[in-house]
Amino acid sequence: MPTRALYNGAMPRTILHLDLDAFFCAVEETQNPSLRGKPFAVGGKPNERGVVASCSYAARKMGVRSAMPMSRALRLCPGLIIVPGRHRLYSEVSQKVMDILHSQSGLVEQISIDEAFLDITNIREDPERFARGLQARIRDELHLPCSIGVASNKLVAKIATEVGKAAALKRIKEQGLAEPPNAVTVVPSGEEAAFLAPLPVEMLWGVGPKTAQRLSELGVHTIGDLAKWQEGDLVRLFGENGRDLSRHARGIDNRPIVTERETKSVSQETTFAVDVVNERTLEKTLRGQAAEVARQLRREHLAGRTIKLKIRWPDFTTLTRQTTLPSPTDLEDEIAATALRLMRQVRKPHQPVRLIGVGVSGLGPPVRQLGLWEKDNEKLRRVQAAVDALQEKYGSDVIHRGEELP
Amino acid sequence: MKVTVLQENLARGLGIVSKAVSPRSTLPVLANVLLASDEGRLRLSATNLELGITCWIPARIEEEGSTTVPARTFSDLVNTLPGDQVSLKLDLPTQTLNVRCGTSTNDIKCIDAQEFPPLPVPDLEGAVQINSGDFREMIHQVAFAASTDEARPVLMGVLIQVEKDKMTMAAADGFRLSVRKAVLATPVPAPVSAIVPAQALKELARVAGDGDEPIYMVLPKGRGQVIFRVKDVELVSQLIDGTFPDFQQIIPRSYKSRTLVSTASLLKACKQAEIFAREGSNVARLNIKSAQGDLQPSEVEISAISEETGKNETIVEATVDGGGLLIAFNVKFLREALEVIRTPNVALETSAPNAPGVIRPVGDENFLHVIMPMHLG
Repeated sequence: MPTRALYNGAMPRTILHLDLDAFFCAVEETQNPSLRGKPFAVGGKPNERGVVASCSYAARKMGVRSAMPMSRALRLCPGLIIVPGRHRLYSEVSQKVMDILHSQSGLVEQISIDEAFLDITNIREDPERFARGLQARIRDELHLPCSIGVASNKLVAKIATEVGKAAALKRIKEQGLAEPPNAVTVVPSGEEAAFLAPLPVEMLWGVGPKTAQRLSELGVHTIGDLAKWQEGDLVRLFGENGRDLSRHARGIDNRPIVTERETKSVSQETTFAVDVVNERTLEKTLRGQAAEVARQLRREHLAGRTIKLKIRWPDFTTLTRQTTLPSPTDLEDEIAATALRLMRQVRKPHQPVRLIGVGVSGLGPPVRQLGLWEKDNEKLRRVQAAVDALQEKYGSDVIHRGEELP
Repeated sequence: MKVTVLQENLARGLGIVSKAVSPRSTLPVLANVLLASDEGRLRLSATNLELGITCWIPARIEEEGSTTVPARTFSDLVNTLPGDQVSLKLDLPTQTLNVRCGTSTNDIKCIDAQEFPPLPVPDLEGAVQINSGDFREMIHQVAFAASTDEARPVLMGVLIQVEKDKMTMAAADGFRLSVRKAVLATPVPAPVSAIVPAQALKELARVAGDGDEPIYMVLPKGRGQVIFRVKDVELVSQLIDGTFPDFQQIIPRSYKSRTLVSTASLLKACKQAEIFAREGSNVARLNIKSAQGDLQPSEVEISAISEETGKNETIVEATVDGGGLLIAFNVKFLREALEVIRTPNVALETSAPNAPGVIRPVGDENFLHVIMPMHLG
């Protein structure tokens, strides 16, 4: 059970949102100071259809953005230095940041590798001074820049970070510089709606391109426009989502800080375009899914004991079968072998399959019992580590199992 | 067949053989117990083809004969009969056993004794002979370390080796190894080596009772079986085929750190840690702290943590010879090993967080237990 901060919606809270500025690049700079100030991007190589995972502020100045194909980034910024990602390192550094946050407040919710919420209601210090202090500590101890937003709830705090970042970057650009924003933005209690009012409605959670277009047709462009609508009308137009839209537009968000890791399971599933009868195809699919699940587990430094198989027949009846291993695993072969065994238990030969999937739960730290004799597993583990390193460096296409080849 | 027995003896005998009954076999007779008059006693036998148990109880035989009676029906009935004389009378043509005791009379449908698989008769000449108390303790200290994983049948057994007057028992499940030695009163003429299913040995320890009578062990040539005889009970088991891994090779010959602790204190700390560890991966961390100076007292800190339930930490006083070390073990393995140690103090020998740890009772050279640590990822 994740622990939630008790919150009844009545007591005003102070929520801090922290976002590490260009995190992967900032970590790379700590490792290689010669990168500082240069346009560079962390990501895959352009000839491997790589994309930009993170880019330095010098690169951003040239128009490079994250999630952009590397080939396009290179056209925009011909001198762009491409740095292969080192995700293990980033998670280690991220953990150090989170440790600092935990030393400040027991109520920390990590939302991604470079973002977290803190409930600082019980900290008496002035929120802006506290935020500046935290920012300075992360800069001094870990040499990492970050931007912070503070407000009475998660929604407004996160938007405050974004608004502050954008404003700081604009100012820095006008000065002809390229450096991290290091912004701190505080929205005082009671001023949430006023703060949000001029912002484009797309900045609200739950407003995707589709909703934004419908809102635009209704003449709603800013969050302030949306706040003028009656909740009942929005519910009529957007269903349940309308209630959230209305409340969020007025700066109301009662969601508590969720302090525990939310990852309860990792899974993959595939719906086939045509029902599959061929056992080898199913095996190959499961193996691929196991590989992805295992990779995800290792990336998050987790391992799980329960392996679950999901299978759907052409008539849409769906079965799940699971089994618990003696000790947690994050290894593709072990997950695949277990899933295959489960599949052979439920599927009659030649029975067509519509969907198949594999998942791992019962997650925890990747502890494992060492064996008296079996060096096999250790060998496999070393091979896996080498494959992981190669794929992290050169992309997932660089190395394959022989049997995956056409 | 017509015999009279005491209810008490019959109930005890059925209790002994019942573990070998196979209620869900494709062979219906395996769900039955063989009753046969045998030289002035009543013989009870049950087998599941892997394991067979026979027990003889005192009886007054009026008419020789034999049959097989459904174990469940017969045991349940006998257990409710008064502590009195029970008369058993078989009607041969219908294979119906009349069971009469006090005012109660019952007819049970039986299966012809001809269908019951024959159990081997041991030749006790040249049998390995060992004190029953010692043998029970050996089983107790070793069999729990055997594997329950049917994928590795050899490890589901206990290796028994006898050479001259030395007997060794060893079991390992791939993560831990238990080895116990004993000296026999009578040396054996030829060396013996066999892998006996751990379950059969546990059963033997149960049926052997508390007495101090000798246990005889016989391995009939070329049969792939072992027969044990103690008092009026005989147990026969199939041996496990295969080669037991070379266990001597995995017993570390040296250590970097030797930690002496009170067995009871360490066991208690492990039991507490297990309450938390069992929710997760069963890991307990042992922080062995090196002594400040020669012969100075030191300590081991045992801790376990669970995301769900919380955490535990216990400090146990220790004498640490060598460097400090942080090592993690499956706390169940640690607890199970400590539970079979009788000496007041125990030594834990360690070398590295990924190298096997050895547990030895202090002052008893006959037992040792090796546990592989857990890797903390």
